[in-house]
Amino acid sequence: MQQPKRPARNSHDFLGLGPVPDAAAAKRGEPLFTQNCAACHGQNARGGQGPNLLRSVVVLHDEKGEEIGQVIHDGRPQGGMPPFPNLSEAERYDIAEFLHEQVELAANRGLYKHSDTMTTGDAVKGEKFFAAHCSSCHSVTADLAKVGTRYPQPTTMLAHIAWPAGSEPRQAIVTAPDGKKIAGTLVHYDDFETTLKADDGTRSTWPTDTIQVEIPDKLGGHRSLLPKYTDDDLHNLTRYLLTLK
Amino acid sequence: MKRPFILHLALFCSAAVALSGCLPSLAAQGLDSKALTLFHPPADAWPTYNGDYSGRRFSDLKQVDQKNVDQLKVKWKYKITGLAPLRGIGNPVIKSTPLMVNGVLYLTIPDHIFAVDAKTGVEKWRFDFQDEGGHLLGQRGVGMYGRWIYFLTPDGWFLSLDAETGKERWRKKVADEKLQYFTTMAAVIVKNHVLIGVGGDAMDVRGYLEARDPETGELQWRWWSEPQKMGDPGSETWPNQQAMDHGGGMTWLPGTYDPELNLIYWGTGNTNPVFAGQGRKGANLYTDSIVALNPDTGKMVWYFQASPHDTHDWDNVETPILFDKTIDGKPRKLLAQAGRCGYFFVLDRKTGKNLVSKPFTKTANWAKGLDERGQPIPDPGKEPSVDGSMVDIASNGATNWPPPSYSPLTGLFYVNATEGYSVAYLYDTSSEPQGYGGGSSGHFDPASSLIALDVRDGSVRWKHVAKGQGGEGGGMSGGILTTAGDLLFTGDSDRLAAFDPANGKIVWSEKLGGHISNGPSTWMLDGKQYVIAGAGDTMYALTLDGN
Repeated sequence: MQQPKRPARNSHDFLGLGPVPDAAAAKRGEPLFTQNCAACHGQNARGGQGPNLLRSVVVLHDEKGEEIGQVIHDGRPQGGMPPFPNLSEAERYDIAEFLHEQVELAANRGLYKHSDTMTTGDAVKGEKFFAAHCSSCHSVTADLAKVGTRYPQPTTMLAHIAWPAGSEPRQAIVTAPDGKKIAGTLVHYDDFETTLKADDGTRSTWPTDTIQVEIPDKLGGHRSLLPKYTDDDLHNLTRYLLTLK
Repeated sequence: MKRPFILHLALFCSAAVALSGCLPSLAAQGLDSKALTLFHPPADAWPTYNGDYSGRRFSDLKQVDQKNVDQLKVKWKYKITGLAPLRGIGNPVIKSTPLMVNGVLYLTIPDHIFAVDAKTGVEKWRFDFQDEGGHLLGQRGVGMYGRWIYFLTPDGWFLSLDAETGKERWRKKVADEKLQYFTTMAAVIVKNHVLIGVGGDAMDVRGYLEARDPETGELQWRWWSEPQKMGDPGSETWPNQQAMDHGGGMTWLPGTYDPELNLIYWGTGNTNPVFAGQGRKGANLYTDSIVALNPDTGKMVWYFQASPHDTHDWDNVETPILFDKTIDGKPRKLLAQAGRCGYFFVLDRKTGKNLVSKPFTKTANWAKGLDERGQPIPDPGKEPSVDGSMVDIASNGATNWPPPSYSPLTGLFYVNATEGYSVAYLYDTSSEPQGYGGGSSGHFDPASSLIALDVRDGSVRWKHVAKGQGGEGGGMSGGILTTAGDLLFTGDSDRLAAFDPANGKIVWSEKLGGHISNGPSTWMLDGKQYVIAGAGDTMYALTLDGN
């Protein structure tokens, strides 16, 4: 029987990426790589005159420099790679960890980050679009005042423009079997069973087919825009709202 | 099929039975290869992942029907216990469709097989494998040939075990987990070929499908998802050898097989690098495709590409379902698939010629139209970008691996779909990106639906949009089973539900301990029809009286 241990939910473990690279060694290895290897294998190790090392079977099989370190030490004379006898075992380990770190950055998508800056979008066009399509419900001096400080990250802003709702339970008015109308939060709602937490805190559960559930659609405007937006519209709007600080 | 050992045992026991009570168990008799059929599996077995070779997941059984389905009750449940949380995953989730052969159910999760008495839910044996790496995302089940079962592990081992005892016979390494391959598939047995595919798209490796010998595990053939070298047919859809060698196209779900045409049909997964397509300009054959191969040679006979130059992670591995139907007065051998890219396809399965290509959720705005083969033409403007490109396909695709179903009684194809909008982002803007290089986010205007598609034209005959969303607990789940009892079984919120396949009305449901996490299946044992489904770490078996 395996020993119980705490579940590890980080993306490295989830993806089964093997040993975690030694970050300190990788940092030490970077200048060594630049000095000794980058001329042939590229600054990012993705290949040049020499092969791409992130896709190298030797690198991917290596755990702590035991395989790639040997290649660094001995070189590959037939392949045109010179030996590096002056690099110590510790330095070869550091270079190996630098390579493992590069693999990790490509393979572990949990480490990916959105860009903090935009490459497109026109705030003036965004303002015009806002005036034409958004201003009947929203105001940049009221509900959206300084919205750019609330969502300074462009992708977060775009998501809030497109669909400003999360997965949290919605507000609803339920008409109970006895005809009584109760307002509250749909803490559970499916095809079979509905549980409403009323505004006074009481909870009631009914078979869904015995009640009427009205969910006020606050997102109707957003829903009708979704099929109409061009990507430029979204980028222009994002640019514009980011300026509201 | 060679079974000298079994024959020996049977002869010995028939002489000794009166004295010692020695009887070979039913499981020791193994699986009769006649049980593996295109359309009509025996009532008392579910001998392969999809039940039969067609992938229809339609059962001729009708003891349970619309009139009596309200008497369907849980007879037994089997909960997986005694395991530490799975690495990077946590609690086990049953994604496998259990085989049921000779009264024994074989169900799996990554690294583990459980043989369970199909009548009682009592564990007969279990097999615990200690992996040395790999992604524990899922395990779809075992394959069976004679008295042997076949199992794939997260770190690329292909095992054969004795179905009677769970004892390992041999193991072969079929995929390298250090290159980020992992194996989750339920092996498909076609004649004397054990067909196995691979998964893994973290680091730009190339997909392949293998046939191995059922007795020795030795390789018979390997088909690669990309052409082997520049100049080969299909290589014109890649810029260079390097891109082709790292182009992805995993083969991670069981395919289907037509014995008469002697063709297997397989879906291939997303292209690599996944979201960053700038280093692999072209259609990138044969990723994101349906391919028809000769099972004896592994040679490709035709292909149809669902998502040319995919940059949205739209694995096209969803079951290519085989069915026969008269269209315009002519009997046709057809194949249908609802793809993750949001298109529903119907093809002639002999030639690959396209009959229907139609979006089944919203408009599939990533495509500009169809080419002369009926394949969608991707809009370069909808490729992932640094500032985001919005598509009217949900973030993880319009559908995914949970098995769909086709009923010959209604002529409808049923699929659980996710509808909505998402945004595709590019992170790696270099000329030679690697890995995913981007991602998809956003769940705008989401809906979870069970959709019935007319195979003649791809029109939506009916659609059930599940009430409730996100934190409210509603939504469709798991795969689909249709039966001759005019029932469609699938998961809806935390229940197993039965729908009327003709109109989408819910006719029955039973609350289980969680969302259905596999494809429901059905079989008869001792005159009783069982309907089984997995929800999280527990298998549930239901019968009419629950006894």
